[in-house]
Amino acid sequence: MTKKIEQDNSWEIGGKRLTSRLLIGSALYPSPANMEDAIKESESQIVTVALRRQAAGENAGNNFWNIIKSLNINVLPNTAGCHSAKEAITIAQMAREVFGTNWIKLEVIGDQYNLQPDPFETVKAAEVLIKEGFEVFPYTTDDLVVAKRLADVGCKILMPWGSPIGSGQGLMNPSNLKAIRKQFPELKLIVDAGIGKPSDATEAMQLGYDGVLLNSAIALAQDPVKMAQAFKYAVESGRLGYEAGVMQEREFASPSTPTVGTPFWHQFK
Amino acid sequence: MIEIIVNGEKANIKDELNIRDMIKALDYQQEVFAIALNGTFVAIDAYETTTIKADDNIEILAPIQGG
Repeated sequence: MTKKIEQDNSWEIGGKRLTSRLLIGSALYPSPANMEDAIKESESQIVTVALRRQAAGENAGNNFWNIIKSLNINVLPNTAGCHSAKEAITIAQMAREVFGTNWIKLEVIGDQYNLQPDPFETVKAAEVLIKEGFEVFPYTTDDLVVAKRLADVGCKILMPWGSPIGSGQGLMNPSNLKAIRKQFPELKLIVDAGIGKPSDATEAMQLGYDGVLLNSAIALAQDPVKMAQAFKYAVESGRLGYEAGVMQEREFASPSTPTVGTPFWHQFK
Repeated sequence: MIEIIVNGEKANIKDELNIRDMIKALDYQQEVFAIALNGTFVAIDAYETTTIKADDNIEILAPIQGG
């Protein structure tokens, strides 16, 4: 008879205790209804949102915000599109008022071609925002020294990329991600951006990352709701694998079936 | 009347309006939004005490989908 493993799978991030380790985006879905269904199916407890200009007569923002509020999960506003610390700080302050949270996904883009974060402006903005009481979720590269600078200014969470935003290339450099995990055991680490397949999310979780943030991989799937379910299981599976302890790799084959009692042993030559 | 820039576009409003009056004058329909004046955030508590001047650059931002 098998016994189900009883465990407390909750974890803490930004002062909140959660059970899901999948952070989901709200953009690019075929329809608002599809977005709502996919977020529900993912069982994610953190959804990313943004602020943008809207024409005076439009009311689309309110409709979107009402859907998000009805989901009753944590909202993580982003500073997407900012190119300087000053812009990102202003957007963060605006987001805090609109969304009623001190959480901010800090994105300061340094290169338009691959949407690579600007490490200098990101660190500058993080330092100011932390002093202003924000819980900063900084989007960064997998550069260990940048991670160190962000930790130095008080970031408790780091979100290195797997690969460029929306590329779906998965984890370009797992060894760099591993080094960040090793150097910062006390920080909450989320792989943000570049995840394409459920197995990419599993790989990130197996590295010991605390969570995965993704949007395009679900929203641009042929069936976003089914893909949301796939990612839910992929993240859970990767985390369980990490906690269970992956076996040591071996250079050579090693039979798994016992050799003692092998039939026809030395019988035929 | 003075000329200002709202969300990147020129607009004309009466002189000496505060932010709350400016929102009404622009007929802005969003219920939830935040404002930046010349690149600096203006908290909701300061709408009535902040006067708009000619050539001011105003951003009115509302919630939208994001990744």
